[in-house]
This record gives sequence, structure tokens and C-alpha cells, in this order.
Amino acid sequence: MNYDISPHAPTPIYRQIVEQVKRMIASGQLQPGAALPSVRAVALHHAINPMTVSKAYSLLENDGLLVRLRGVGMAVAENGAVVPEQDKAAMLLPALESAARMAHQLGLSADTALKLFKQCLEQTKKDATDA
Amino acid sequence: MLKNTEQSAHSAAISTEALTLRRGGNTILDGITLAIAPGSVVGLIGRNGAGKSSLLRCLTGLTAPTSGSSALFGCPSQHLGDAECARLGYVAQTADLFEWMTVEEHLDAVGRAYPSWDAGRCTLLARQLGLTLHANVRELSGGDQQKLSVVLAMGHGPDLLLLDEPVSSLDPLTRRAFMSALFAEASEETAQRTVLISSHILSDLERVVSHVAFLRAGRLQLFDTWDAILEHVRRVPLPAAFAQHALICLSNDEQHAVIDTRHAPSLADSGAVLSLDDLFVELNA
Repeated sequence: MNYDISPHAPTPIYRQIVEQVKRMIASGQLQPGAALPSVRAVALHHAINPMTVSKAYSLLENDGLLVRLRGVGMAVAENGAVVPEQDKAAMLLPALESAARMAHQLGLSADTALKLFKQCLEQTKKDATDA
Repeated sequence: MLKNTEQSAHSAAISTEALTLRRGGNTILDGITLAIAPGSVVGLIGRNGAGKSSLLRCLTGLTAPTSGSSALFGCPSQHLGDAECARLGYVAQTADLFEWMTVEEHLDAVGRAYPSWDAGRCTLLARQLGLTLHANVRELSGGDQQKLSVVLAMGHGPDLLLLDEPVSSLDPLTRRAFMSALFAEASEETAQRTVLISSHILSDLERVVSHVAFLRAGRLQLFDTWDAILEHVRRVPLPAAFAQHALICLSNDEQHAVIDTRHAPSLADSGAVLSLDDLFVELNA
């Protein structure tokens, strides 16, 4: 497992990691007890500062989503993995709002935009099953 | 802008107090006050001639300031002893190498001066950077000379690295290997080393820095964590209402301002996020 990190994105790297871990836990991709890649491995893989990865993991630990296991590193908390549907919706909302603004700027009809989103959903599902 | 407190200056890996350097009629460094906590990785950014190399030279004690002071590990730069030097690695902008030796002989010669020198570490780092040990130093390309300077500065596992454009001649893959090497020995138990690195390759810095320090015409223009800058520093169109202390700089045409939205919360959502490149342009326009 690895993170998708864009060092030059307008979102700080630690926040990119926090958000990805939250999404993976919400979706069940990361199950309770699952180990996360070590700080060192993530830092080396992306040539980023280990403190940035530590910062992300510490924030997730404070939120109760991760636990620190001695000698093992970070793992998904047993009770942290149950994410209510409304929280999942709240996580998706910013991306949808941004897409809605863009659709509006382009003068796309709501129907066309919704149809495109549906296609994206289907494609993503197909990619996931193929993989 | 972070204000330095007395306390942070005492525990800092690097501290300067009103550091000023004048040469002839020119002011090279102008009252720089800075405290860098251990473990920070600070990108030192500014145009050519902004004073980056002079600041690094003052920190190492190679250049004496006209007034003000600086210290490494709490020890004045002008009086660094063996103990401090053993914890310090420095890559100067122009490599000062022993041209009559091979790379390996050069590493051995410098290594003898350091009790904590680790030849294995050097060999590994040289391999990661793609530097051939049996090459003659005289025949090295500009890029390979830089690699050798980096290995020489890191062979003793220093706690503090002062790097003056260490990667300007290196290709993107080697630069990545170099960035990874900065952290290769960091672990959960040991404190991470402190790094002050000047570079114009801002895309590299975005990966690794915890802080950025912008110098312009010898003055410290902006010093903060890079995360805080990404989250709070915004370019806003003018006119806009904000407190004077929120202003970081105005564009030349006065159509835009770069502001710290922590001091102007009402504008937090209205401005544009700046990449390190954008910020460089704005701060030096």
C-alpha cells in the first residue's frame, strides 16, 4: 500500500496523507488492525521529510483513527474504523462542490454533469474490480 | 512571521541576532534575527545576491559579521570548537577539493580529521548519488564535484548541515537520491538532523522543507513553516480590507497583495494559494 502524494499540490503533504488515510478507513480499504506503512518507508519512497509523515500519523492518532503499536508502528484503531454514512458524505462534499463550480463555469447542464459523474463512478468500480 | 523568543534562541540549533554584514558601501546582510529549532529542514530562498551564501558563511564563522551575532548549538559562530565542528557539515557554493587525489583518497584524507567518520556511510552515499570512488578528483564533472562535496559534508553524520546550493548541477534523479539521503539515518529514537539548504530548485524544497526563509536584499522577508504558509498565506486582489500586520507584500502594480490570513480571517477563503514558485515571484517582484 502506498500514498498518492503530490509535493507541489496546494494542499500540504501532511494533509494529503491524513485525508487519504481517512478515506481508506471510511471505505473499508483499511480494516481495523491493519498496519500502515512506516514513516521511514513513506518518506524514502516519496523523497519527503519523515517529520511530515509523523505529523500526519500523530494527527490521525489524536483523532482516534490510528493507534501506535510498540515495535510495529501505526495501525488502524479497532473502533476508529466505523465511519457513519453522514461523515463519508461530508468527506466527499468538498470535491463535489469544486466539480459543481467547474460545471457551472463551463455552462454544463446538471444532467450532463450528473451523467459524467455516474460514468466516473462506474469506471472507478470497474478499475477496482479489474485490479 | 514567527517571532523569536529568548527561550527558543537558547535551545535553537541555529540562531542569529540582528546579524549584519557590510562590505564597502553595501549592506549584504541587514539585521537578520532567526531561531531554527533542532530537526528543522529550512529552505533558504532568495534571488542571486540576496545574501544566502553570506548568511551561511557567517553561520560557519568563515565570515565575521559587521555587527550582531550568530550561534550554532548555542556556541558563537566565531568561536566554534572541535566539539561543534564535529557536529557540523557544510557544503560551500564552490567546492574546495584536493584535485590531486582520487575520490576515495579524498574521503580518507578528510575522514581522518573526524573521530565519528564512517567510511561505509560514505561508500553507500556515493553509490546512491552515482559517484565513482576511483575517479580522479581533477577529472570530475561539475555535478560529480558537488556529489563529492555532499559526501564529504555528511561522512561524519553531522547533526547540522549547512548546504549552499548543493544540488544545482545534479539531475532530477540524483537530486531525489540526495533528498532521501538527508533523512536516511533518521529514526523514531534519534532526533532528526537540522538542515539549512539554499537552492533555486524550489520543486525539490517543496518535498523536504519544514520551514522556508526568504531573503531579499539582505533582509529576512518571511520565515515560517511551509505548511502554515500553504494554509494561511494567500494572494488577494485589491482593494481589500485587512490589518496592516497581515500584509506580507504588495504587487508592483498594487493590484494584489500577499497576506497572512491568520491576521485577516475574513479573507481566508477569498485568496489564491501560492506555490513556492509563485511566492518567490511575489516576494521578489
